[in-house]
Amino acid sequence: MTEIRNQRGLASAALVRRGLYALTVIGILATAFELATVRHWLDIEQLIPWVALVVLAIATVLALASFRQGRIAAGLLALLVLGASVYGVIDHTVVNYNSGPLDQRFADTWESLSPANRWWYAFTKTVGPAPTLAPGILGETAVLLLLACLMPTPTAAGNQPSA
Amino acid sequence: MICKAKLSLICVVTVVVLAVAGCGGSTTTNGSGASASSSPTTSSAAAATATSQPGAKVSANTASESDIASALSAVGVSNAERWAKEVVEYRPYPADDPNMTKLRDNLAKYNPGQETVDKIVSALTP
Repeated sequence: MTEIRNQRGLASAALVRRGLYALTVIGILATAFELATVRHWLDIEQLIPWVALVVLAIATVLALASFRQGRIAAGLLALLVLGASVYGVIDHTVVNYNSGPLDQRFADTWESLSPANRWWYAFTKTVGPAPTLAPGILGETAVLLLLACLMPTPTAAGNQPSA
Repeated sequence: MICKAKLSLICVVTVVVLAVAGCGGSTTTNGSGASASSSPTTSSAAAATATSQPGAKVSANTASESDIASALSAVGVSNAERWAKEVVEYRPYPADDPNMTKLRDNLAKYNPGQETVDKIVSALTP
């Protein structure tokens, strides 16, 4: 009875793991398409998400490898991409903040606004051209891969799930 | 049992992450929306060009950032250095578009207003 449950658990885990890998690949391709459509390569800093995508693709290949070290390396690379994603959100917010004086609605009053107001307008894209939460897609994809790496696999200890 | 609990946790986290990502994705198209809403017209651009000083124009494609900033200052654009940076960033501009449509579309993302865009374009040639 217990063995049947274990086998069902492993089958479910394998299904979820494959689903997470599939979502990761879809996330990488969709992000690349989105970046290409907005021509996100006009300066060095705009190349960061492209590098992050390459790192994520490498991490996915490593995660798909059957050996444990590959999965650990994939997890670490995913964490790196998560960091790049957080940096992207911050950077987009700063770009919007610096664009405040260029907006005709705030050109004369930007400096007189409170810092909290200015940052709020920047974060909510009330001013500026940068979509603040868009870099979050990189983080989301990285988290999906991280979760896939944490899923139990049937490779260790026979049919018993491991870490 | 522990395995099942872990599996459930991972599923829940995945759903939450996807939901958050869905909210974030909605902001990506706002830039083009703003661009469309404040897109300048051809007639006003021609008027601005007509009022600009002849000889003060610099090439948006080849002039240095400082030269562009000087030209923008000369026609009364505030934050000229910052706008010059944007002009350089969105290069190249089509040589067969004296109205600088590409530049106008990109500047519109900042919501600078019709007058400012016209002033900027009046100081530039492709």
